[in-house]
Amino acid sequence: MLKNYIIPGLLFILLSIFLPGTQGCALPPAGQATSPAEIKDQMGRSVRLDKLPQRIISLAPSNTEIIYALGLQDKLVAVTDYCNYPPEAKQKPSIGGFSTPNIEKIVALAPDLILAASIHQKQIVPQLEERGMTVIALAPKSVNEVIAAITLVGEITHKEEASRLAAEMKSKIKVITDRTNNLTETQKPRVLNVIWHDPLMAAGSGTFADELIRMAGGVNIAGNLSGYPSISLETVIAANPQVIITGVDMGTGADAPLQFAQTEPRLRNIDARLNYRIYGIDTDLVGRAGPRITDALEQFARYIHPELFPENKR
Amino acid sequence: MSLPPGLSSQTPPSHLVRWHSRIYAIAGLFVLLIVIAALATTIGSVKIPFLTTCQIMLSRLPWLHITPFWPSGVETIVLEIRLPRVILAGLVGAALATAGATYQGLFRNPLADPYLIGVAQGASLGAVIGFLLPATWHGMAAGVIPLFAFTGAIISTAIVYGLARVGKTLPVTTLILAGVALGALLGSIVSYLIISSGEKMHSIIFWLMGSFSLSQWADVRYVLPYVVVGTGVILLYARRLNVMQLDEEQAQQLGINVERLKIVLLVAATLITAAAVSFVGTIGFVGIVIPHAVRLLWGADHRFLLPLSVLTGAIFLILADLIARTVQAPTEIPIGVITAICGAPFFLYLLRRRKRVIF
Amino acid sequence: MIKIEIQRVCLGYAHKDILHDVSFQVLPGELLGLIGPNGSGKSTIIRALTRIIAPIRGRILLDGKDIAMIPRQELACLLGVVPQLPLLPSAFTAFEVVLMGRNPHLGLFQQESQRELDIAWHAMARTMTQHLAMRRVGELSGGEIQCLLIARVLTQETSAILLDEPTANLDIGRQVEILNLLKNLCRENNLAVLAALHDLNLAAQYCDRLILINDGRVYAQGTPGEVITAQNIKEVYGAEGCVYTHPANGLPAVLINPGNGRTPNLKIKSAHVDV
Repeated sequence: MLKNYIIPGLLFILLSIFLPGTQGCALPPAGQATSPAEIKDQMGRSVRLDKLPQRIISLAPSNTEIIYALGLQDKLVAVTDYCNYPPEAKQKPSIGGFSTPNIEKIVALAPDLILAASIHQKQIVPQLEERGMTVIALAPKSVNEVIAAITLVGEITHKEEASRLAAEMKSKIKVITDRTNNLTETQKPRVLNVIWHDPLMAAGSGTFADELIRMAGGVNIAGNLSGYPSISLETVIAANPQVIITGVDMGTGADAPLQFAQTEPRLRNIDARLNYRIYGIDTDLVGRAGPRITDALEQFARYIHPELFPENKR
Repeated sequence: MSLPPGLSSQTPPSHLVRWHSRIYAIAGLFVLLIVIAALATTIGSVKIPFLTTCQIMLSRLPWLHITPFWPSGVETIVLEIRLPRVILAGLVGAALATAGATYQGLFRNPLADPYLIGVAQGASLGAVIGFLLPATWHGMAAGVIPLFAFTGAIISTAIVYGLARVGKTLPVTTLILAGVALGALLGSIVSYLIISSGEKMHSIIFWLMGSFSLSQWADVRYVLPYVVVGTGVILLYARRLNVMQLDEEQAQQLGINVERLKIVLLVAATLITAAAVSFVGTIGFVGIVIPHAVRLLWGADHRFLLPLSVLTGAIFLILADLIARTVQAPTEIPIGVITAICGAPFFLYLLRRRKRVIF
Repeated sequence: MIKIEIQRVCLGYAHKDILHDVSFQVLPGELLGLIGPNGSGKSTIIRALTRIIAPIRGRILLDGKDIAMIPRQELACLLGVVPQLPLLPSAFTAFEVVLMGRNPHLGLFQQESQRELDIAWHAMARTMTQHLAMRRVGELSGGEIQCLLIARVLTQETSAILLDEPTANLDIGRQVEILNLLKNLCRENNLAVLAALHDLNLAAQYCDRLILINDGRVYAQGTPGEVITAQNIKEVYGAEGCVYTHPANGLPAVLINPGNGRTPNLKIKSAHVDV
C-alpha cells in the first residue's frame, strides 16, 4: 500500500520545490546564492538582481520609511538629509539631498541595492548604473501603487513583513472606502488641499492628495486642474470649499498656509471658515509615497467626514 | 535789420508749443484709465455678470441705495480682490513709468530705467532675506516681506549714492557705474541665496517675477502716499528737468541748482520705485519702455512726458495684470512675463511707425 | 545796469593754475572783447564768471556783490551766457530751447505764460531764427545753433551777457549781423557784454575795449588801437607784420601774411647727449 503514495509523494515534493519559483519574480529562498533574476521596477526598467541585497541605500524619504517598516534597517547603509521618519533614520549616514544625492558618496559605500525615486530617473540613475550600481526606482502615483512598491521591496529582499503590511494597509483603506463609496454627490463636501499660500497653490488631479480626498468621500475643488496648479483667490472664494486641509511642517512648525487659510480676511465667508473646518496635516504624511499614506488617508477621512469616522483619534 | 516777410514778430503761432494737443492727450488718457480700470474689475477668473459688478461697485457710493442681491463671496471678489488689485496695478505702473522717465531725464540716457542704480536688486535681496528668515514662517509673509524689500532698496541706493559722490557733486556717470556694479553684486548674492533656498525657491522666484495675486487694500494704503507724493514732487520739477537736458553747465548758467535737483529727483524716483517694488516684486519693462513710447507719441517735454507716463504706465500695467490673470485662468502668469511679451512688440511697432529722433 | 569786476583773480583746475592775477572791468553799455591765443584761458574766465569754477584767489563782483554769494537763480537773471560748443537735446525744438532762457525768471510753481512765449519769439525774430522754430535741434547746423543760443540769451533778459566765441561757425554775413545786434543791444539796454573772440578783426571793429590775455596774465588792456599793435601781435601770437589800418575807420585790421608766421623751433639733437 505504501507504493500508492510514492508517486504522489514524489510529485508533491517536486512541485513544492519548483512551484514557488513560478510566482512573479523568481528569487531564491533567503540565504542561498542563486542564478540572476530580472526585476521590473516601477519605472518600467528591467533590473538584474544577482543576490539578496545586504547593503541598501535609500534615495528618498518614502523609500526609507518602507525599509524601516519592513524591518530592513540593519541593511540600510545610507539615507538622504530629509529622511526623518522614523527618528532613528536620522542617525544613518547621509548621501546628500533628495534631488541632489552625491554620486561619489553612494559609490564609495558599495551598496548592492539603491532605491531611487522618479525624480532620479533622468540623470542620477544612469550615472549610478554606469558605475555598475544596481538601482530600483520606486515611483508610485497612487495609493495602490504605493502598496505595490512595498510589495516589490518585500519580494526583492524576501521579507514576508511586506505582505502583512500590504494587507494591513488595504484593510485600512477598505474600512474607509466602504463607508464613503456609497455617498451621493451632495453628501461629499467640497475640499481644498492648500499646498502653499504665496503663490496660492492647490493639489489637483493626479496627486496623492487628490486621491485621498476622493477616497475619503470629498470632492476636490481643484480636481479639474492637474498637478499642483497655482489658483487665484477668486476661484477659491467662488468655489466655497467646506473643508480646507493644508500641509504643516511638523519639524519646523512652519504652518504659513494654515495661518493663511485661518486668517486671510477675504476668506471670512467661506464655509470652511464659518464652520471651523480648516485643518493642518503633517506634510510628511500626505506627500510621501510610503507606508504612512494610509495614516494620511485616515486623517483626511476624519477631517472630511467626522460623522463617519468618530473612532479616528489621532 | 529787416525781418523776412510773412513772419509775425509779435506772437508766436499757437502750434509752436504744442500744448493743446498734449492737454487733450492727458485728458483723454485719464478717461481711458478710468474706463479700463472699471472694465478690469469686471473681468476675472470667476465669471461675474457685468451689471452685477457695476452695481456692486456703485453700492459703495454713500448716496446710492442698492439692495444687495448678490452672494457675499461675489462682493468679496469684486471689492476686496479685484478692485484693490486694479488700483495697485495702476499705482505701480504709474510709479515705474514715472521713475523711469525721471531717471532717463536725470541721466540723459535713454537706457536708464528705475532699476539702474540698484533699487531692484536691493529690494530683491531684502525680500529674499525676508523669505529665508525662519521668523517669517510663523507670521504672514505678506506683512514682513515688503518691509524688508523696501529697506533693501533704500539701503542699496544710499550705498550707490555714497560711492558716487565726489565732494558736493554727484557725477552722473559715476552714479550709473556704481549702480550697475552694486546691482551686479547684489544680484549674484540673490542668485546664490535662491539656489540654497530649498523648498522656498518657488515662492521667491514667484515674488521676483512680480505678481499682484494677493494684493489687498492694505498694500494700496502703503503704496499710495509714496507714489502720490513722489510723483507730485517730480511733476513740480518737470520744467527744470527740461532744462537739465542741456548739459550741466548750461543748466547752471540758466539758474538751476543742479546738485539739489539731482538729489531731489533721485530721492523721489527711488522712493516711488522702492514702494512699488516692495509689494509687488520687480516688474521689468514698464520703466524703460513706457517713457519712450510716450516720447514717440507726444514729445520729450517733461511737463507732458511725466503726466502722460503716469497715465500710460497705469493703463499698461492694469491691462497686463488683466491678461496675466485671465489667459490661463485660474492659474496666474507672473506679470513680468506679460509686460515683456506684450510690451516689446508694441514698442517695436511704434518705433517703426514713427522713425524719428526721440531723445 | 550792472558792472562786472574781476579783481586779482587766479584760476586753475586741479593742481594747474591757468590764470594769474587777472583784473579788469566790464562797464554797462560797453562791449569788451577778450582775445588771446589758443589755451590762454579765455573760456576759463567765462566759466569763472558764471560760477562753474571758483577762483583760487581774488574775487569776482557783479554790481559790487561777490558772485559766490549770489544764489544761482538770481545770478542767472543778471548774467547770461552763450557757451562755445554746448550739448543740446536733439529731440527738443528750436523754440523750446530758446524758451528755456526764461527759466531763471520762473519759480518752482510757475509755468511759462504768454508773455514768456512772446519774449522768446521776439528774441528769435531779432536773431533771424524764427523760421527754425519748429525744427528739431538735432537737425540744425552749427551756425543755426549758434544763433539760437544768442536768441536764448536774449530771452533771458539779463543785464550782462558773456559770449564764448559767438561767431565761430557763422558765415561772414551772419557774423556782421550778430555782432551788430549785440552792439545795438549793448547800447540800447546798457548791457555789460564780454565776448571772447579769436577773430582779431571782428574784435577790433566791434569792441569798445579789448583785453589781451597771454600766458595766464593780462598782456594788454585798452582800445583796439592800443591793444592790437604789430608789437603785441608779434609777441603774443608770433605773427609778424600783420597789422594794418582799416581804410574805412582807422581801426586796426589784421591781414595774414603767409611768410610772417613764427617758424617752429626744430633743434636737431646731436647724437652725443650732453649731460
